[in-house]
Amino acid sequence: MPQFPSADWFQSVRDVYNSDPSLHSGGGGACDTVAGFKIGAESYLITFEGLQCADVRSAPDKEMNDADFIIEMSEELWTDMVANVQANGKADLNHTLNSIDLTQEESIAFSPVDDQYRQDLFYRFNQNFQDFFDASARVETTFK
Amino acid sequence: MADSKDSGAAVPAAVAGAIAAAGGEMVSGVPEPTFEWMGLTNQWGVRVRPDEHGLRLGDLNVGIYGEVPEVWDDQTRRPRGALPRPGIPPLPYNLRAKHQMWADCAADLYEEAIQRRWIPATEVPWDTLETLPEDVERAVCQVLTELMQYNNVEIEIINYWQDQMSYGYYEVKQYLATTSFDCARNIEALRKRALSNGGGLGLESRGSVNRMILESRGGWTESVAYLYLLRGTFAMQILRGLLVHAHNDAERFIYSHMIQDHARHLTYGYDHLKYSITHQDGQAGIMQTLLSIGEAMMGTELDDPVLRSAMAIIMGGGIEAGRTKGMDAYLHLVGDFVRDYLSICDWLGVEREERLNPNIAKYLEY
Repeated sequence: MPQFPSADWFQSVRDVYNSDPSLHSGGGGACDTVAGFKIGAESYLITFEGLQCADVRSAPDKEMNDADFIIEMSEELWTDMVANVQANGKADLNHTLNSIDLTQEESIAFSPVDDQYRQDLFYRFNQNFQDFFDASARVETTFK
Repeated sequence: MADSKDSGAAVPAAVAGAIAAAGGEMVSGVPEPTFEWMGLTNQWGVRVRPDEHGLRLGDLNVGIYGEVPEVWDDQTRRPRGALPRPGIPPLPYNLRAKHQMWADCAADLYEEAIQRRWIPATEVPWDTLETLPEDVERAVCQVLTELMQYNNVEIEIINYWQDQMSYGYYEVKQYLATTSFDCARNIEALRKRALSNGGGLGLESRGSVNRMILESRGGWTESVAYLYLLRGTFAMQILRGLLVHAHNDAERFIYSHMIQDHARHLTYGYDHLKYSITHQDGQAGIMQTLLSIGEAMMGTELDDPVLRSAMAIIMGGGIEAGRTKGMDAYLHLVGDFVRDYLSICDWLGVEREERLNPNIAKYLEY
């Protein structure tokens, strides 16, 4: 049973996401971007290509500049979001990436190189990322 | 990726043979065609190949077809790269400089818009709508009514300027066509939601900012500043607030998809403003003046009680809580708009914090 956060956990979510076309309808089409997730001291790079999540991997901080944008939250917030998805089958309206972003003092998404165009991808593909995390409802998860 | 042979203007040798091979008797009285047009091209033998993403609009920018000039003097409908024909009367394409409309992302955004379509009629889970308390339904319908007007204005101002954009920058014209369609789809979805749950449309917006946008005739860049930097950044916050407070999966679907569409529009808008400011002397100063005017109008509209009370009711869950936590949440949302606006102005190189209109600056405390 994969533990959140870990590369194994993201890999399991990726497998679920890629195997179910109903999860790809969020944006109504292709999503091409590299997103970074910073969870406490750990960092991951997730590559979306077309309708698939092409790659997930843990990445050292120096590689995070490869991301179009990075979502960074405290480990508590991440855990709360994933636990909510586990409990409800998908994020309730207080635990979506959009709602969490709205309730924080600073936006949770930013461009590592201050590129507004790439940062905007967080909103342009927002539902795809939400669908990705909602897919984690089908991954039996343990927490630290 | 593309292969390309040299350009040529001679009649292809194969043509004469092809005519002979076609056999057939000539119709009497009709001049014999010379097929000279077949040799008239700026560049022939182009063979653009699709990559793993398919064959995208931006991939076609190869050879002379990828030469995007700083100024496009041709006032005809000649597609970029085609040979000009003498004697074509000019048309009123008044925007003929790249800095007046260009954004490097336009071709990519066109592809994104084409691929990420959605169909309100069948994809929105309309069967998840449930009767809401009347005060909430009235508030939802009021906000949707005003959002419909936002979209109407976007279509109108785009169409006004699109007519005047020269064909040297066809990527932008193509992309803006998708934007008009996005807005039409938004209007469709909003109207369907308003008329399918026991409510109806609400009160027309006072429309000061709408009018400011529609009357911005100094150039497309001016319209973009008002339409996207000011109004659009605010509208994004409204949509995000609606999504957080969606009452059912139908609303959730509509708002989340509208956010993605709108984000695409903002990307073009911000990118164009950046291009304009960095490629046109004096444009940053002009932006300062335009934004001083626009902020004043925006501040007045934010004081209008209709939208703010409707949003507060939605965010509070009813009139009673709308007076307290709903209004607090709405004011915080407007504060987020102002913070986003200032941040984007900084990125554009047009710092506004010190000059911010007091009617807007007051929301920074929330």
